[in-house]
Amino acid sequence: MTPVLERGISLRGVAKAYGATLALAGVDLDLRPGEVLGVAGPNGAGKSTLVRMIAGEERPTLGKLTFDGRSWSPADEWQAVAVVHQEPQLFPNLTVAENVMVGREGSGNSHPVLSAADAAVMDALGIGHLKDKALEDCSLATQQRTEIARAVARDSRVFLFDEPNSALTAEESDELFREIHKLAASGRIVVLVTHRLADFVAHCDRVAVVRDGKVRVILEGDALTEDAIARQLVTESAASLTLAVRDRGHDFAGHPPLFQTLDWTHRTAFSDIAFEGLPGEIIALIGVEGSGARELLRSLAGLEKCTGSIQIGTMSGSVALDMLTAYVPATRQLSLYSNFSVGENLLVRLGYPQIAGAGYMLKMRQMKSLAKAAVSRFLVKTGTTTQPIRSLSGGNQQKVAIAQALHCAPKLLLLEEPTRGVDIHSKAEIYRLLRDYADQGNTVVIFCTEVLEVYEAADRVHVVADGAMAHSLRIADYAQVEQLATDITRLEQESRKDEAA
Amino acid sequence: MTNTETTQSAPRPSMSMAGKATIDVALRLGGLFAAIVVVALIFIAINPNVANLNMGGSVLRSMSSVAIMALGLTLVIVVGEIDLSFGAIYGLAINSLAVMWIVHGIPVYFAMPLAILVGALVGLFNGMLVTQLKIPSFIVTLGSYNLLYGVTLWVSNTGTFNPAYPPAGKTVPKGELDFFVGLTQSIGSFQLSIEVIWMIAIAIVVGLLLHRSLFGFRLMAIGGNPVAASLARLPVRSYKVMAFVLCGVLAAVAGVLDFSFIQTSQPNTGLSATFPVFAAVIIGGASLSGGKGTVIGTLGGALLLAELQLGLSILSPGAYVQQIFLGAVTIGAVALDLFLTKLRKSRSS
Repeated sequence: MTPVLERGISLRGVAKAYGATLALAGVDLDLRPGEVLGVAGPNGAGKSTLVRMIAGEERPTLGKLTFDGRSWSPADEWQAVAVVHQEPQLFPNLTVAENVMVGREGSGNSHPVLSAADAAVMDALGIGHLKDKALEDCSLATQQRTEIARAVARDSRVFLFDEPNSALTAEESDELFREIHKLAASGRIVVLVTHRLADFVAHCDRVAVVRDGKVRVILEGDALTEDAIARQLVTESAASLTLAVRDRGHDFAGHPPLFQTLDWTHRTAFSDIAFEGLPGEIIALIGVEGSGARELLRSLAGLEKCTGSIQIGTMSGSVALDMLTAYVPATRQLSLYSNFSVGENLLVRLGYPQIAGAGYMLKMRQMKSLAKAAVSRFLVKTGTTTQPIRSLSGGNQQKVAIAQALHCAPKLLLLEEPTRGVDIHSKAEIYRLLRDYADQGNTVVIFCTEVLEVYEAADRVHVVADGAMAHSLRIADYAQVEQLATDITRLEQESRKDEAA
Repeated sequence: MTNTETTQSAPRPSMSMAGKATIDVALRLGGLFAAIVVVALIFIAINPNVANLNMGGSVLRSMSSVAIMALGLTLVIVVGEIDLSFGAIYGLAINSLAVMWIVHGIPVYFAMPLAILVGALVGLFNGMLVTQLKIPSFIVTLGSYNLLYGVTLWVSNTGTFNPAYPPAGKTVPKGELDFFVGLTQSIGSFQLSIEVIWMIAIAIVVGLLLHRSLFGFRLMAIGGNPVAASLARLPVRSYKVMAFVLCGVLAAVAGVLDFSFIQTSQPNTGLSATFPVFAAVIIGGASLSGGKGTVIGTLGGALLLAELQLGLSILSPGAYVQQIFLGAVTIGAVALDLFLTKLRKSRSS
């Protein structure tokens, strides 16, 4: 085992288990003062567990952490660590200055007064003149600076930035990175987690790639390129399965498109998108947060107001969106009803005449048999249909969430990150369900943030960047996922250059 | 540690979880009805004279208007909203019925449906403000509570009415009076009021609506996860409005029935109903966060409260004891509920 750092944080053999699931499988990592360390990894790889552990929100099951050579438990020394989230975790009703002071008001009952030291910290971050403004009236960028100021003022030595710039404009994001570099230059430990590969290359000294609960590689110097990170993210480990389900039951080539948009334009997220899909196809949209990909998917579900035309089958406009599409949100909390049983959750989107008859009275016996049929059709592993939904594993809850939407028999099925936080076995089953559904002459569109999911689930992929959609790539043209990752990264870079030009 | 373990989605032990949701409800109700029996036995032990059918009839009669209002409130609470205005609706229904019928001579057969319509309109007003203007229902109904009380004072001119003794110059036809009083007449050898039968009939209808109809199923879904329900395109707004309308209708019905039984209208009647009605719903196991609530539970809650109130008024030296018990039982029921839920959770994990 390599010796621990004399200055900085060392993780040695750190593991975390949730029940039978191993989120971290023995991580060795050094966090050095004065540098910006990037942490990259696909969803569910253990990246967020690692960050939560350094932030003191989780305790390791095994292994140890040291800080400046001494054994260290971040949970007991939370003051030392600051986490800056995409959504600042502050007090919106208080002023900027009050937010900086909360928790360090000093003794006594008088209303706290801003100390000279705190004021200096705020001035250095360029928010000194905003001190009496209510935080909720400030921009997101200012709120993040307030969060940084709060941490600097309480003398935090470790800064974790978790997707900090996904909702910022380009200029705001540049300014944020200037502050991040200043923090590193002042000898603090800085960790950056993001999905934007370009930010890793531009701003990090080293990037650790986490896969299957371990740090697989640390890229630095000339080896640190977007392409290298992209390839590392998708390289399959020995344990993972090849999930791709490409054997199509029917071939719909030559059919007219099932849906088609023209001049499809959103107020802020994207404009003039021409997008179409054939029956039988699974189409992926990939793009980082803020690229417009998520909004494009949601707009097809009628959840984002758009101008332009949309045609689905023989219907068009918002009627088509309402009648012929169904949407599955990214998080299960937005799909499932914790007060309902597994069976009730499966049937909740149904109505007359499937589960209710004359006088809108429920057909109880019918519901029971429909629920049982759904459990076997959608491969939900459950003891009975009457047990609470929260008793199922994450993967099975996700199957229930997708089954709810499939029950509506949509022509166009829309899913956001359909296998986020799902174990590999359920993942394969979910891809199978989607493939079977497409085979019945329907179209499935999924929004992905990860190339591996695109490769495993889709027939075609569109890269969305800065509100524009690139031409699609056919997955069947790629024998290896690494090559696909390279091409997707290239398309994203090209569209950024177009934007800059 | 060189091997990365891939975890399979192992099905949890299944049979032990079977029908756990149903068992939870059954346990909750079992506890409530056990409490009702125990309280009755304690009263009988202290004063054996209370153990007679007349007393039972009185308890049922005195719970019935609270129960009818509580059933309406259950619908609103299940859908995840709150209604504070039902007591004022109850009072407005009584007073507007009294004025229409006794002062303006509108036959009771028309005045009664009109009074109930007033309740429906107030519910519609509440529901529209909540769903269209997105004002929290607590604020909307706190406002309409006061607003309606003002309207009641205005309509009744702060007067008291009794159809058997109409004000000078007014007459109430005998047939109409007999019909109206007959609505809640006491029947049988132990003086059971027909109001109890109304309550049972209404409970059956609301029970079918909440537990056996598509409306109730979706009401539970909307209350359980309103965001998911709207993403799933369930009719969230119209169902919420319907819940408020039904709550208003049932409050007005309770008012009309109580007026028929008591036969005297007061301008401030109903205002003090807020607390016991809420208590009945909460003791019955409904959750203020929505998605949970049963008709049988709400009836049990109303029964327990009526029993305590009547028992204590017979035994106790003063009204303060009833009031203290009312508060203590409400907090105690919820505290016990949370404790048992926590206990079950810690055992199952």
